[in-house]
Amino acid sequence: MLPEIPHVKVTLDNGLDVIVHEDHHCPIVAVNLWYHVGSKNERPGRTGFAHLFEHLMFEGSAHHDSGYFRPLQEAGGTLNGSTSADRTNYWEVVPRGALDRALWMESDRMGYLLPALTREKLDTQREVVLNERRQSYENRPYGLASMTLMAARYAPEHPYHWPVIGWPDDVRAATLEDVREFFATYYHPANASLAIAGDVDADDAIRAARAHFEEIPAGPEPPPVAASVPGPGDGPARLLLEDRVEAPRLYLGWPTPRLFGPRDAELDLAAAVLSGGKSSRLYRALLHERRLAIDVTAHQSSMEIAGHFIVVATAAPGRTLAELEAVIEEEIGRLASDGPTAGELERARSLLEADSARQRQSVGGFGGRSDLLNLYNVYVGTPAYAAADFERYLRATPDSVAAAARADLGVGSRLALSVVPAGRGDAALPGSTPVETR
Amino acid sequence: MAVDRGRLPPVGAPAPLLFPAIERRGPSNGARVWSVAHRETELVSLVLLVPFGSGADPPGCEGLAAFTADLLDDGTRRRAGVDLHDELGRIGGRLATDVTSDATVLSITALARHARDALALLVELATEPRFDPQEVERVRALRISRIAQLRHVAAAVAERAFLRSVYGTHPYGRLPAGTRTALARISVDDVRAFHATHYAPDRWTLIVAGGGDRLRGSELAAVGSTLPPPAASPGGGGKRGGVDDVPAARPSPGRLTFVARPGAVQSEIRIGHVGIERRAADYPAVMVMNMVLGGQFVSRLNVNLRETRGYTYGVRTAFEGRRRQGPFTLQTAVDAAVTADAVREAVREIAEIRDVRPVTEVELAAARPVLTSGYARNFETPGQLAHAAMRLALFDLPDDEYSTFVARVAGVDADAAARAAGRRLDPDALRAVVVGPPEIRPALAGLALGEPIEAAVDEFFR
Repeated sequence: MLPEIPHVKVTLDNGLDVIVHEDHHCPIVAVNLWYHVGSKNERPGRTGFAHLFEHLMFEGSAHHDSGYFRPLQEAGGTLNGSTSADRTNYWEVVPRGALDRALWMESDRMGYLLPALTREKLDTQREVVLNERRQSYENRPYGLASMTLMAARYAPEHPYHWPVIGWPDDVRAATLEDVREFFATYYHPANASLAIAGDVDADDAIRAARAHFEEIPAGPEPPPVAASVPGPGDGPARLLLEDRVEAPRLYLGWPTPRLFGPRDAELDLAAAVLSGGKSSRLYRALLHERRLAIDVTAHQSSMEIAGHFIVVATAAPGRTLAELEAVIEEEIGRLASDGPTAGELERARSLLEADSARQRQSVGGFGGRSDLLNLYNVYVGTPAYAAADFERYLRATPDSVAAAARADLGVGSRLALSVVPAGRGDAALPGSTPVETR
Repeated sequence: MAVDRGRLPPVGAPAPLLFPAIERRGPSNGARVWSVAHRETELVSLVLLVPFGSGADPPGCEGLAAFTADLLDDGTRRRAGVDLHDELGRIGGRLATDVTSDATVLSITALARHARDALALLVELATEPRFDPQEVERVRALRISRIAQLRHVAAAVAERAFLRSVYGTHPYGRLPAGTRTALARISVDDVRAFHATHYAPDRWTLIVAGGGDRLRGSELAAVGSTLPPPAASPGGGGKRGGVDDVPAARPSPGRLTFVARPGAVQSEIRIGHVGIERRAADYPAVMVMNMVLGGQFVSRLNVNLRETRGYTYGVRTAFEGRRRQGPFTLQTAVDAAVTADAVREAVREIAEIRDVRPVTEVELAAARPVLTSGYARNFETPGQLAHAAMRLALFDLPDDEYSTFVARVAGVDADAAARAAGRRLDPDALRAVVVGPPEIRPALAGLALGEPIEAAVDEFFR
């Protein structure tokens, strides 16, 4: 049973939520700032902006118009940021004596970024992003698979259709005016949540947050995100992508409920029963008993608007993706009809509990306590959701897991993507349609 | 009250780091059992150091140490592999097996309420593996396939080519995964013999951290007594492998290796040479000097290649301290069109920090705190503490290594940084590897690294 993360929360007049969690055992403080903007807030032809800002935000603001790494690293801090379809987060972990500096810098780029944003900075970071795309996606085996699957799953106007890093042509075409407008719309206190966690007194932390952020105007209400419901769509259900890879790999995807939606926790448990550890059903069937695959993972990727359940498996030498598909279909079918055993459910729960506890060991960074408090605050409206979150897993039963598999993991709504070595289109699932990547 | 935007807030003095005292038990049946205090109550971290890694692979059996470690969880005398993993799931345990050239490290983190079961499981995995011939065949096929997969990962190609270029036939010249040829040849008896010789508890260090202190004091003392005595291990008297001094290594011929990767949009680059031992007295000075050169985002190299020129998403350098002299490595991936320019700039930066542009007081003032001010955050979780204690054992470091590190870094002045650069960087010894599209090959001939030696991807994945 995971306990709540103790905290206090106040909302400043400009709408900024400030959440503080005290933990004095290590002399460090985490600052974690979420902006409720991600690639889902972009529009076709203007994609990649939220991620582009993740770069521009480190390049300087009006009162500190140079790189953001130097002053914080000199202060002994570590810092990073990340962008998803739903949100952008920025964080620092600093020695307790550097909290003011971290807050000063976060507030300066929230309140005063645009005066320091030049065409030159935009051009340089545009190149860095295009290089990041080459390094992380184009030049990496299977690197384009996930974005190909998402693009096929969601219609062109759906906010999850385009990749977080954006289409390269859009990134090249972004003008200074475009990105300024995007910043003005989304990067302000009323669309943000600030968590401070670690070796700090809560009253002091709130006072410091006020001193740095209260002067920033609230900003406009961001426009709502219009999302059509994803469905099987009218495109082909079997796709084929040739890539510079050694072995054919199968990606199967199903549309599923959103984060914290009905059946979301059951699908997490289903994923653990299918592929969590070497005694899981798919691992045993594919790697142990029939030796058809060299790896397999199943994952419920739950996001704000919608979820996506994905199974990925790579063929062993001499084996076909059709053989893999048949076993995966059989195992999911068995889970949907009989559910997990009591022992399987207990193990899946223990692993999820321990994984959460592992993340919560750190006050800062991706997945640490400060990040988690913001996640709950932004998506549920309260940071006090850790216990309720875990209770979802305690409530699940073998029957409810089976019911979720029946409701969401049927063949009708399934998309299959075969990624095969260049020139080996014949290694794809039969009847697959080649897709163009952008 | 509004804040002063005219200047950055000053930073208060960092709190001193005091690494917790290590409670030691044993040796009991030869094993050292250590406990590090941490207030964590939900999870326990267990780390087992077996101080033999791929450096102990016999010739012709490259990959044996890693293969052996991989097989530990596929069945013991008491339980089949599937049952071991069911037990791991029941206790919320994650098992990590890490084989380096110097050591094999097994670790489990698990729910604290199952701390004793986690410890028993870890000892069972390390002492009673079954090495069932059928399982050996299954895992062999998997490991061979996975190596084949890596042929398509430019960074994996570059890493292998670089280590071979720098270390030649020395054990540091290859990765622990080994080769497909050797893996195909290793027998079940080879695996059993390696285990019997190298996993005997008389060289173990077993470390416990967290877990609500369930495993301390007498509880811990009892652990050693449950281990099999070294003499009882069949074949326990076999000759143990180790890692020779690096000067015994002979680098491969040719300073610049080029591996063609048709159609690649980026070139993967590695540059470097033999570096330092973890125990080296000038380790802190080398760390500071490396921070300035390429060890952080605002290093000379990253500012030059990423921020000024936009060649790359990032470039970094590192001195990896090992039991013997580990590699000094610069690594980056650049837009293919600027490959030769990027190599030229990188080599120039490495050369110039030695003489033309030595580390300045301003740079020092910026670099030292990166290592010291935030040092405490490396010791936040029980897993971090257990692994830090493990490194004390592996590298024969004193107990106050971490507690004195900050003061030793603070003492690195410009002279010390200059000595570190002069002694530990050698432009004439630099070796470079480029994995990129064939079109860039002509431009590489113009670099002052001699005629490029062309190598095929498959040479590194035999």
